[in-house]
Amino acid sequence: MLVISLAVIIILGTSLFSGCVQQQGQQGESIVLIGRDSTSGTREFFWTFVMGKANFSASLLEKNSNGAVQQTVSQTPGAIGYVGLGYVDSTVKALKINNITANVQNVLAGTYPISRDLYMFTKGNATGATKEFILYIQSTEGQAIVTQEGYVPLQNTSHYNTSGKTLSGTLTVSGSTTVLPITDKAATAFKVLYPDLTVTVTGGGSGAGISAVSQGTADIGMSSRDLQSSEQGKGLVKHVIAKDGIAIIVNPQNTYVTGLTLAQLKSIYLGEITNWKDLSK
Amino acid sequence: MGKIHLPWKGSKIKEKGMKTLFFLSAISAIIVIFSIIFFLFRDAYPIFQKKGIVDFLIGMRWYPTGQPPLYGAFPLIVDTLLVTLGAMLIAIPLSIGSAIFISEIATPRIKAIIKPAIELLAGIPSVVFGFFGLIVLTTWLQITFDVPTGESWLAGSILLGVMAIPTITSVAEDAISAVPREYKEGSLAIGATRWQTISKIVVPSAMSGITAAIILGIGRAIGETMAVMMVCGNPTYGLIPNPITNVFAPIKTLTATLGIEMGEVATGSDHYSALFGLALILLIITLIVNILATIILGRLKERQRSGSKKQPIISFELGRKIKLSFYLFIGIIIVIILLMAVGIFPTVGILALIAVIYYAMKKISIKIKQKIAFSMISLTIIIVIIFLGIILAYIVTNGVGALSWEFIATGPSNLGRSGGIFPAIIGTLYLVAGAIAISLPLGVGAAIFLHEYTREGIVTKIIRAGADLLNGTPSIVFGLFGFAFFVLYLKFGFSLLAGQITLAFMILPTIIRTTEEALKSVPQSLREGSYALGATKWQTIRKVVLPPAAPGILTGAILGIGRAAGETAPILFTAVVFSDFIPSSVLQPVNALPYHLFTLATSIPGSKQNQAGTALVLLLLVIGIYLIAILLRNRFRKKMKW
Repeated sequence: MLVISLAVIIILGTSLFSGCVQQQGQQGESIVLIGRDSTSGTREFFWTFVMGKANFSASLLEKNSNGAVQQTVSQTPGAIGYVGLGYVDSTVKALKINNITANVQNVLAGTYPISRDLYMFTKGNATGATKEFILYIQSTEGQAIVTQEGYVPLQNTSHYNTSGKTLSGTLTVSGSTTVLPITDKAATAFKVLYPDLTVTVTGGGSGAGISAVSQGTADIGMSSRDLQSSEQGKGLVKHVIAKDGIAIIVNPQNTYVTGLTLAQLKSIYLGEITNWKDLSK
Repeated sequence: MGKIHLPWKGSKIKEKGMKTLFFLSAISAIIVIFSIIFFLFRDAYPIFQKKGIVDFLIGMRWYPTGQPPLYGAFPLIVDTLLVTLGAMLIAIPLSIGSAIFISEIATPRIKAIIKPAIELLAGIPSVVFGFFGLIVLTTWLQITFDVPTGESWLAGSILLGVMAIPTITSVAEDAISAVPREYKEGSLAIGATRWQTISKIVVPSAMSGITAAIILGIGRAIGETMAVMMVCGNPTYGLIPNPITNVFAPIKTLTATLGIEMGEVATGSDHYSALFGLALILLIITLIVNILATIILGRLKERQRSGSKKQPIISFELGRKIKLSFYLFIGIIIVIILLMAVGIFPTVGILALIAVIYYAMKKISIKIKQKIAFSMISLTIIIVIIFLGIILAYIVTNGVGALSWEFIATGPSNLGRSGGIFPAIIGTLYLVAGAIAISLPLGVGAAIFLHEYTREGIVTKIIRAGADLLNGTPSIVFGLFGFAFFVLYLKFGFSLLAGQITLAFMILPTIIRTTEEALKSVPQSLREGSYALGATKWQTIRKVVLPPAAPGILTGAILGIGRAAGETAPILFTAVVFSDFIPSSVLQPVNALPYHLFTLATSIPGSKQNQAGTALVLLLLVIGIYLIAILLRNRFRKKMKW
């Protein structure tokens, strides 16, 4: 008994030790790739746009939300990750891409290269409360919330006009966690305009939102990606409600780079460049 | 039981009706387990048909959104087994040490403190472990071992190991305590030391119980979702560590894949079907593990019942040979692992060291040996207590700052970064109340049928097996089943009701088992007395059996409530939403404490204080519930001396 347990302890010790030796001295130098899970709208966009649909490196670590990517990058010295602009704060450093700073102005000007649309889907054309809510989000008032949350607003919007309408009943919105912060705040403001209306906003992800709206369990499905082939032909109508720039973030301790080109970014996520030192030369 | 038939006094129809009702609740466990298997298979079938079941099992890459999509579950299966193996290397020595300490070494006073402490460890929700792991453990590993990222196999194994400790310890402790006193007394009487008695008599006699404990622990570890998902890194295609002993490699388990991908997958797509395929594999692995444990425990009970007069199945000599070849086998594996991990010279050095220690052990006196052994055992219990202490201390110190009346009584604002958690508390209460309202009648009915209406036989065996299998089913599998059946098939949508029923199914086996224990503790003579007075079966059960069994049943219900309140995976795809919404009907979604914590910890940066606050509230709630159950049980045990 005793001998066996001793042996186990020694084995554990040595494998710890060997694991250590293999990775020793690479902290902050070897690149830790952080990305989103394979069903994420953000990942699909990144994969199509930056990777040209080439496969990610096998060492990419998956996180199931923008916040998780941001958090991991902020506590891992060698990490790199991609998140929506709204998730950039002082705990991470956003890199310039092709020498353009990642911010709302540059996305609006069309110079920042990595950006995409955010959607709401309805079954058939939107009517009643559903229509009003989407109109509200697309209005100047709604887009103010978009800006406030760090996303990129639509241009040339007009003010929302209640013009004596009354709405009641329940409006159910579900789907993408990327779109959720906007909808959540918009719903709170919308309820002030129409006190008799109940708006429930739920997450679950783009796929869950799209399937909910096509089955009629939700009135609006939020999505950070367009429809996939298996989701087409179900009579869903697409509404663009905002734009979102995707920021490439690294740990603040990272002194090797301040910017990358799209080609470098692709090489990193392909696993061709695995050490920050190779980039600073 | 059920053998005495007296002239019915009440209406016959009522008696028959009650029996049918109890029978129906008894088979509910079987119906549930079969519908789980059916629905998983139904939704997994398209992918098996399309890609072939063999390719699905041995494919080396998991990349469902690639072009072409790849559905190879092999690395996920290997990673699941690896993380479980690591967890067991940590949990087995610690829990068996703790079990020996509690049952053989501790003074009654220490035992009275330590035993509940370890049982409380079982009450810490897995999302709280995951939260601790994500914030503290992975960072600590990364800095201490100077590796690129702490999110790894090791982090997962440490958390799973700690989580498996209470399960293994309590079952192993029962097994050790069940060793007849005469064995120990006999050994001590012929001059053996305490340690010799423990190591040569007590532990070998309890071996099958300990084995079953370990297997149950393995089942627990394999099926665990939230903690693993939060700390293992999850490399995108599933990655087998290279070399295979590299404990710092990130890994991706079956459960984590389900937890991450299920939320955003397009319903009805190949990917959706493939996820159900993974769930089916997971379910089959855990079912095998649990069936093994059930068989071993069943044998143990049989042996205890028939006494130990029977000839052993294998002779002493053969047993010795088997044991020797087993040691040899383990030895060879260890040497191979060492060679792979550190090369030839260190391996020789380590082997020499082991040999030296082995001979030194032979030389030293049995008294010193006993001292060494006892201090190592005490060390295990100290390590367990330290683990518990660190986790609790972290959560309490960080969370207490967030705690205030506003935090409890108001809704979240700014996506949970500020404001309170009132809707989540209410949501958890709703979910738990619904779950217990459904599972308590079913579970108590099933237990009454098993214990009062039938003789032990094929029917009870099948029903018990159903309950055992249900007990071993991973919580995330309940979640997938709930999603496929309630949310989609019955069109409940994400709703309170879907979550309540899913949770109810999950805690059903706990309630059946504890109720049966409570019924068993009511002496047969009471029933016979009641029958002799002319009472009918149902009258006897209602007036004579149930009242003294009530505290025991209540304990079971409370344990079920605790489990339901802390679980995240079953409600993840059936009921919860992250919002300040309080449902007004059962068909609306809710927020819940564990989900609120999970979302804050993984998705909302800058919510540090509210994360710890939510964790603390959840912890207090669940541990409080467990504490009530433990106290109630102890009181009940003391009082019920017939």
